[in-house]
This record gives sequence, C-alpha cells and structure tokens, in this order.
Amino acid sequence: MKLTLPRGITARAFDRAIQQFTKVVGSKWVLATDEDRQTYLDAYAPGNAESYGPSAAVAPQTVEEIQAILKIANEHKIPLWPFSRGKNLGYGGSAPCIGGTVMLDLSRMKRILEVDEKLAYCLVEPGVGFFDLYEHLQANNIKLWMSIPANGWGSVIGNAMDRGLSYTPYGEHSKRVCGMEVVLPNGDLVRTGMGAMANSSAWQLSQHAFGPSWDQMFMQSNFGVVTKMGLWLMPEPEATLSLSTSLPKAEDIEWIIDVLAPLRLRGVIQHDANVGNGIRAATLRSTRDEWYRERNGPMPQAVIDEMQKKLGVGAWNFSVRFYGYDEVNEANAFIVKAAIAKHTDAEFKVTRWHRGEPLGRDSGAGVPSVNALQIVNWRGGRGGHIGFAPISPATGAHAIKQYRAARKQYEEHGFDYFGSFTIRERHLNHVTLCVYDRDDNTMTKGARDLMNILVKEAAADGYGEYRAHVSYMDAIADTYNYNDHALWRLNETLKDALDPNGILAPGKSGIYPKAMREKRA
Amino acid sequence: MKTTAMIVAMLCALPVSLAHADSAIDKQTYTARCVKCHGESGTGTVMLGRRLGKDKGMLERRTDLQSAFVRHVVRNGIVSMPPLTRVEVTDDELDAILRYLTRSQTSSTPSTP
Repeated sequence: MKLTLPRGITARAFDRAIQQFTKVVGSKWVLATDEDRQTYLDAYAPGNAESYGPSAAVAPQTVEEIQAILKIANEHKIPLWPFSRGKNLGYGGSAPCIGGTVMLDLSRMKRILEVDEKLAYCLVEPGVGFFDLYEHLQANNIKLWMSIPANGWGSVIGNAMDRGLSYTPYGEHSKRVCGMEVVLPNGDLVRTGMGAMANSSAWQLSQHAFGPSWDQMFMQSNFGVVTKMGLWLMPEPEATLSLSTSLPKAEDIEWIIDVLAPLRLRGVIQHDANVGNGIRAATLRSTRDEWYRERNGPMPQAVIDEMQKKLGVGAWNFSVRFYGYDEVNEANAFIVKAAIAKHTDAEFKVTRWHRGEPLGRDSGAGVPSVNALQIVNWRGGRGGHIGFAPISPATGAHAIKQYRAARKQYEEHGFDYFGSFTIRERHLNHVTLCVYDRDDNTMTKGARDLMNILVKEAAADGYGEYRAHVSYMDAIADTYNYNDHALWRLNETLKDALDPNGILAPGKSGIYPKAMREKRA
Repeated sequence: MKTTAMIVAMLCALPVSLAHADSAIDKQTYTARCVKCHGESGTGTVMLGRRLGKDKGMLERRTDLQSAFVRHVVRNGIVSMPPLTRVEVTDDELDAILRYLTRSQTSSTPSTP
C-alpha cells in the first residue's frame, strides 16, 4: 500500500517524526514500507481497506518509549492509533478510523506481571494474548480459569477494552477489569482505582476507590494508552455440569428467552448463556456451497431445514453450564430442565467435569482457540465478516421482534441470517454476523448497505449497538442521541481537555478532536 | 594421534550439530508462530483441507511450498488468513519458518534419529 500522509501533515513533518520515532525505539520497530502498511490493513474489510489504511507503525516496548512517542506526536500533531494485538477481526482488526494514522503497535509489551491465585487476578501488558496467559497458568499449575472470546488469538487487554464477551460466568470482560495504568496524551502516567495510591495493597482487588472511577472511561475511547490492566480470573470450580439441546422452530426463541432470562437474573444460571441459530452452527462445520450452490440470495428455508437435519442442529441451539459443587449444580440443572420441560420434550445432552480431569471442551474452562475464524469461509473466496449486535431488554418479546427484523434485512440484502442471543442478567446482546466474499463487490456493497439499515432500524426501536467496526463508529455514535447528543458533547469536551492536539485515535467511537470535528458535522 | 582424530571428528561433526540446532530453532519458531492455526486440528488446517483436499491441510507435511509464496502469504494474507506484521513475526522469524516449511527441498543434512 502506497503512503497516505496523515491529514494536514506535510511530508517533511512526517519524515521528521519518523526519524524521531526511530531514535526512540530503533529502526527495527518503525515500520513504514508499502508491505508494512499492507500488514496493518483491515483483513476482513467490507470494501476498500486502503481507504482507512495507516501511514506507518511504531512499536514501543516500555512506558517510557510510549511517553517519548506521544511527545513527538504532539510536537508534529501526528495521529496515533494504539492497539494491543490487532486481532479485533470483524471490527477493523488493527486498522484506524482515518487513513494516514500511525499505528501505535503495543504487541511487544508482553509481560504477565502478576498472577495471584489466592485472590484470583492477573496484571498484564497489552501484548499478552489469551494463549500467552493460558499457557502461563498451565505451566505454573495455577488453578484459575480465563474467559475466552470466540477468537482466542487476540489480546486480553484489547478485548476487555473493546468490551468483548464470552459465555462464561466472567463473560462480560469489561466488568472484570480492576485497575489500569494509562499514559495520557500529554505523557502523564496515571493509575486508576486503588492504584492511585502509590503503595496500594489492593490495586487489583477493588474496582472503586476514592472519588470518580475512570476505568470505564478508557474503554472504547481515545483518552489514553493503557499500558497495564488488572483482570479478575475465575477460581477453578470443583465441578461443572452442562446441559445442551436444540429447538426446532424459529419462533422458539421467544419462550426460551422468557424461560432462561429470569433464571439468569436469579443466579440459577451463573453465566451469560447463548442461544445461537442453525446457520451459526453450520458455519463452524461446513461451507455454504456444501448445502446450496446458488450464489445469489439467501438460502431458502427448505434448504436450511435439510441442512440442520443433516448436521443434527436445530433452529436454535444452546448450552447452560453450572459451576461449583456437584450437589448445587445438580439442583440448579433440575430447576432449568423443569422450566424448559414445560415447553418442549427435547432431550438434553449432559456432560460433567470434575477437578483433576483434563480441561477439555466439556469442562467449561476457557481454553483459547481460533477455530471460530472458520465462519469467514462460509461464502467462499476471500472471506470476511462484520458484526451488528444491539442490546435490548431480556424478554422473549424483544428477542423475537429483533430476530424477525434482522432476518428480514439480512435476507433482503442477500445474506443468510447468522444470529445468537447472549442472555445477561437484564439485557440481551443480539449478536448477528454478516459473512461475505471480499472479492465480490456486489456482496460487500450489500454488507455495507445492510449494516447501515440495521443500525438505523434498531435505533428506531430503541436498541443500541454495543461495539462497532471502525467504518460504522460515527453512525452508531449518532444513535446515542438523547438531548441532542449530549453524551457525544461530553466525550468531545473530555477529548479536548485531555488531548488538545488530537493525536490519539481520532474517530474512535465517533470521538474526534476539535480540528477534525467537521468530518462528522 | 588420538587427540588429532578427536579434533577431526569434532570439526566434521560441528556443522551437522549446528544444522540440527538451527533446524530445531526453525521448528520451534514455526510452532510458536503458526501452529495455533496450522496445527493438527487448527482452523488453518481445517480450512486448507476443505479448499485443497485433506492431504494439503497440514502445512508441516507439505513438500510443495515455495519460500517466496509463503513469504507473500504471511505479509499479505490469503483467503481468510490475515497478514502478519513484522512485529508479530519478525523477518528473522519468518526466515526460520520458511526454512522449516521448505526443509524437504533444501535439506542436505541427515535427519535427526
């Protein structure tokens, strides 16, 4: 990819900044060739990835190097896009919002600074991946379990910062963050929570301290560079028990949500259970052309029915797992089975795990994997996907309304509806994925059109998206519009105060520095 | 005489030992950087098997991989595989991976027993 300079930056100023970055980190860790730029593009872009490609990358290893880089960026007003490992696939990967931004690649910062088994937490740097932490826990026989997202290739910090999720008791990862170290745009180094006390004994133990709490402010924002994060891990349970089953009809989503959600709210179900559709199950085990050779348009229902039958999956499929002592697990499983049995005679597959047995699939332990990436192969060609995942009340009525609306739009735009509902205590996260062939321009345009209409339709019904691909951040920020976008104004007030030169991640979550704000006007 | 013979034997053995050490490092590098996707049941192996046939799924067992092609794939991505930066896989590490994946075409050293 040819060089695109950051907006408003002369070639001379850019070259000078690159030279200064090189003095800080060494020439090996400043990456500015055409091929280097290529490696930081959005690998699953629904369109032209180069239109928001970077100009260069700089990869520090220490806090001091980050501070020096920020000083140079402030001097030349060079925009920087911090990222941890760049595996936010489906949301832009490592790519910035605006072409020409310099990547601040933190993947060399790979230290696992502390793991406390007794109090169940870790303190890590941004480059630590789920595989790294898992291998550390295993190698040291530490009986703590992680919560792993579908793509285990990514960063522990990066995923929590983007509010990534999984289906474990610790599955809402941003809620398990406890204490950060952050370099502010002016180079000041801050520790949040109890860590603000220089000799704190509880930085990773209490999320709140004295005065305002700031951890959440740094998530999905562009107010600082997080260099350390505390994260709570789950003590290994004595045992687990899992119930899995399938439901035959699309309409079953309404009653199953109404059965499972109250049990989640009351703590009978301890984790964010996930109910996924048949297409979702099929993408992990097959490619579309194994079932349907017609390339254009969605798969007809009759084909879907036949596919589900052959794969042994239902219109909806789910597992509920119980963690703890056998007696409690059995009692909770009895309650869940009895509640479901009022609606269906579907049989459950039951698996049990006890401490000391291998941490395989049936255990429920978070074991990192990249197998979920197979879904991008569904449509053939160079695959890609983009997600839309609105939040709604945890009721069956809202679930079926959303299912019908989303499926209608997916199919009208020529895509198979790929969806699941993650059940939290009080809300649902309706995760839908549009899978496409990046080499098919009609299909990628259809994907972009689909995303635009899904955002608008959901917002009109009061459903807001929780996370965005870099290309849709403005559109989604626009839907958070109470009091003429008062939250947006607050974010920009903070941006101007903390980052007056607008060097950190311009455009992240729709938040632009003053000089670029006309972009969204 | 005995000492001279030992020195000769050591000198003869040295390149082979170093070659073995290098090839072990090459394999370690491949394992560390590639096997999470390209291991026995990894997503890369599964997807390659689906597209090219099961005998082509495991990269380690292939004898038809060319260095220039693999280098291009790593830095540019292919199909569903994203590109890898020079921070994630350094140039030196990529060279080791290429040596490992093309070892059947270039190896003149005896294989490890």
